[in-house]
Amino acid sequence: MTLADYERDMAGCSRCTCCKWSALSQIKSWRYAKNCPSVTKYNFHAYSGGGRLTAGLSIIKGRSELTEGVADIVYKCQLCGACDTACKIYRDDIDINEVLLEFRADCVERGQLVLEHMLMIDALKKEDNVLGEPKAARDKWAEGLGLKDVNKQRADVLLHAGCRYCYDKDLWPSIRAAVRLILSAGINLGFAGKNESCCGGRAYELGYRGEAEKYADDMLSRVKASGAITLLTCCADGYSHFRYLYPRMGRKLSVDVVHITEYLIRLIQAGRIRFQRKVPLKVTYHDPCHLGRMSEPFIPEWEGDKLLRPSSLKRAGRGGVYEQPRAALRSIPGLELVEMERIREWSWCCGAGGGVYEAYPDFCFWTAMERIDEARSAGAEALVTACPWCVRAFRDALEQAGEAFPIYDMMELVAKSIGIPEEEV
Amino acid sequence: MLPDQAYEALIDAVGQENVSREPVVLDGYAWQPTFNYNPELWMERPSAVVLPGSTEEVRQTILVCNEYGLKFKALSTGWCVTAAPWCEGVVILDLRRMNRILEIDEKNMYVVVEPCAIGAQIQAEVMRYGLNIHMIGAGCISSPLASATSFMGHGWDGIYMSYSPRNVLGVEWVLPSGKVLKLGTPGSGLGWFSGDGPGPSLRGIMRGAIGACGGVGVFTKCALKLFNWPGPPVVEAEGLGLDTKTELPQHFKVYLCFLPDWDSFADSMYEIGEAEIGYIINKNALGLLLSVIFPRLTRKIAKRKAIKETVDVLKNEFEIILAGNSEREISYQVEVLEDIISRNGGFLFDLGDNPLVGIFWWGLVRNYAPPILFRPGGQFMTLFGSDDSFDSQVTAARLGERIKKEWLEKDLIYDDLGDTSWMHIFENGMWGHCEVPFIFDPRNRRQVEAVMPEAIESVMASLEKNLGVGMLAMEPLIRKIASPMQGNYNKWQKEFQRIIDPRGAADSALYTGEAEIDLSTIDPNKLQKMTEIIMKNLWTESGPPR
Repeated sequence: MTLADYERDMAGCSRCTCCKWSALSQIKSWRYAKNCPSVTKYNFHAYSGGGRLTAGLSIIKGRSELTEGVADIVYKCQLCGACDTACKIYRDDIDINEVLLEFRADCVERGQLVLEHMLMIDALKKEDNVLGEPKAARDKWAEGLGLKDVNKQRADVLLHAGCRYCYDKDLWPSIRAAVRLILSAGINLGFAGKNESCCGGRAYELGYRGEAEKYADDMLSRVKASGAITLLTCCADGYSHFRYLYPRMGRKLSVDVVHITEYLIRLIQAGRIRFQRKVPLKVTYHDPCHLGRMSEPFIPEWEGDKLLRPSSLKRAGRGGVYEQPRAALRSIPGLELVEMERIREWSWCCGAGGGVYEAYPDFCFWTAMERIDEARSAGAEALVTACPWCVRAFRDALEQAGEAFPIYDMMELVAKSIGIPEEEV
Repeated sequence: MLPDQAYEALIDAVGQENVSREPVVLDGYAWQPTFNYNPELWMERPSAVVLPGSTEEVRQTILVCNEYGLKFKALSTGWCVTAAPWCEGVVILDLRRMNRILEIDEKNMYVVVEPCAIGAQIQAEVMRYGLNIHMIGAGCISSPLASATSFMGHGWDGIYMSYSPRNVLGVEWVLPSGKVLKLGTPGSGLGWFSGDGPGPSLRGIMRGAIGACGGVGVFTKCALKLFNWPGPPVVEAEGLGLDTKTELPQHFKVYLCFLPDWDSFADSMYEIGEAEIGYIINKNALGLLLSVIFPRLTRKIAKRKAIKETVDVLKNEFEIILAGNSEREISYQVEVLEDIISRNGGFLFDLGDNPLVGIFWWGLVRNYAPPILFRPGGQFMTLFGSDDSFDSQVTAARLGERIKKEWLEKDLIYDDLGDTSWMHIFENGMWGHCEVPFIFDPRNRRQVEAVMPEAIESVMASLEKNLGVGMLAMEPLIRKIASPMQGNYNKWQKEFQRIIDPRGAADSALYTGEAEIDLSTIDPNKLQKMTEIIMKNLWTESGPPR
């Protein structure tokens, strides 16, 4: 598919501006009524979902050139999917997310590149991760855990840690806690160690399709060679990419893809783990976009007039992972969960996605602080989430703002309740 | 292309980050498919767009436009062709940054807002005080300031909360000359509680019946009346659209009422108005309702005669929400309603605990559903819309039925089973409103090209029956026909315009503009009839036709 293939989607925009707002039936205040970080920050209509549809239409109709200004519009967007979800409350015939992805691929193909994104892709090519960290150090996070190496031993469950967890030491306690928990439940778990690579999803989101496909192929080979029946990831981005982007690239994984929050619930329901210690904390849960609305499985492009497409064949955000993280949090003794106004498929983004964290950090941090403000407003003492990129964005935003507010990766709280000593993770 | 000097002046007015002349950004304001009669759907590309953040920045922007011979057009949320530039050289003022709720006066029951605070935001905030705000038919995504000052303003809560032109109190208005005028009490520094003084009262010139659609300047603040809200301060709902579920709060009732024919339907409306019951009342187009809920199924069954006959039998339907402050009050309203419907030979269906109550109650109170109209075909248009007695609205609905049937037979619009009208009453049933919606695909050239002929046909039918032209009055093509048949009203509007806007800085196409119709788009037989109607109704220098 190309941008031009989505002409009917773009020409279908009625400019109602629903794409700029949280679900209208759910708006509970003036303050938290908006859903799109991009147009909320930059204000020109072009920075909204509908505005980008019109921009794309303008380009393919030859009314406008693909300039640096256009690239600014295209890339100052987290690809959080909020606009698409809001639009699809009402429409069956427009896929904003698909247009946004094609717009980026078009930019890359036609040379409208963002320097920071080029550096990420260079890093990916050299070290197999978008952070530019040495490939040889990819397995350091797992030292001492006794994880099986799937290159040498067979495992039922293959863990894909993901670039952020592998290299962000601040997040190691979370993933180490997850591994300890799963191993303690007697699961045959393994990982690829130094041979694990980036899933390639970020490259796809940035518009670098060739690179993304290369890494997807690599992932498919690794999964197949491992003999695992389940691919487990703690990375919400990776989870979304495996379920959505991989099939979109024609590279569907043949194993059960599971996020750690889903796996946790399975273990709880099977009676294989129990939360024992109280965690007396009032928290609010931030739905990561890639675990929520963007994690819905891929549905092949509808051929023909999308007005005839049944609602069940559109990705509208309803099929994301929303309940399992909440259920897990509610299972922790002493922990009180309070909700923010924008949750589930109408959640506000953390700001990190789509290459924004790397290319436009101020925009990312502004977006994150908006969310932290909402968390405080909900009366929470801490914000908990289930995505390493979200945790990173929130913590960095707070640091830059010189403010303090506890941000937890969900597995940190789980570890506390299970009773895993901090020094062990 | 905007001259560099003018661009620099705009930057001085609002700041670098709030001005753009990037073509693709400008096209974001040129694309306006809703209520656009131009089949291309692109309007003129503006010369620049600015994002003023205050009244002073609006004023400075207008002064720049005056200095450099540019025109300007302001928009709030920007849905509808009224927000588009209608000529070359227009600077768009996107008022997004002016989005605050400035004051909620609980005691005096009004709210002061900026242009881009939308209905849903304002409602959410005022409900905490036990108050509510009138929502227009376009939905809670619209700007209440915009409908109050500049365009139309009808909605199904009109029975309780009237309509936007009635609800506007004090106004801050930046004239096309750059002067700031405050209407009503703000003009005398006495707060915002009155639109008519002490202080200048120019409500009629500010907007009249339809509104000047941005042709008389920029409205930067206004106060709006608030009304009683006997429901919860925060409504908890599950679901986002048609799947919404809520519990009906205490002292609320929701009914679907069916009447046997138009006469009994109209009588019921009058009686409900006179009895002063009801919080929301709305006649839905039943076929359209089915179309938005089951768009694919409706396509499949629409041609079946039995289906159409069923809808025809049930078409005299309306939804009514009763709201009381006590059990005694709601019981009284229920009794009165049952009596009215019974005496008029109808029946009512209490939605009670039915799962549909969510969408009918919260859907109508919050009014979040209107964009669902895009679902079956991608776009819609409405005809008629002149406010008058409810009997006149029934006449409009019947005319609409005839016109719609013909266009359905030509397969130029989506077949929504031919049911025609949205209708509601306000002010104790003394006024009524009717719009006849039709759905089409904006990507289907044949259907898009049919929009203007259909609109013209409805206008001719309206004028023949002395119904006025309603919301189509904004359209320059229609104004050219309608003004000479209605006392040459546009000559008067132009006189006002000359005083308010001596340099012609405002993009006033939708206020006083006139344009020639492409007669080749009209069926020759209809053209002949149209000519007859025009000739019969033309005003002369000595006055109205005899």
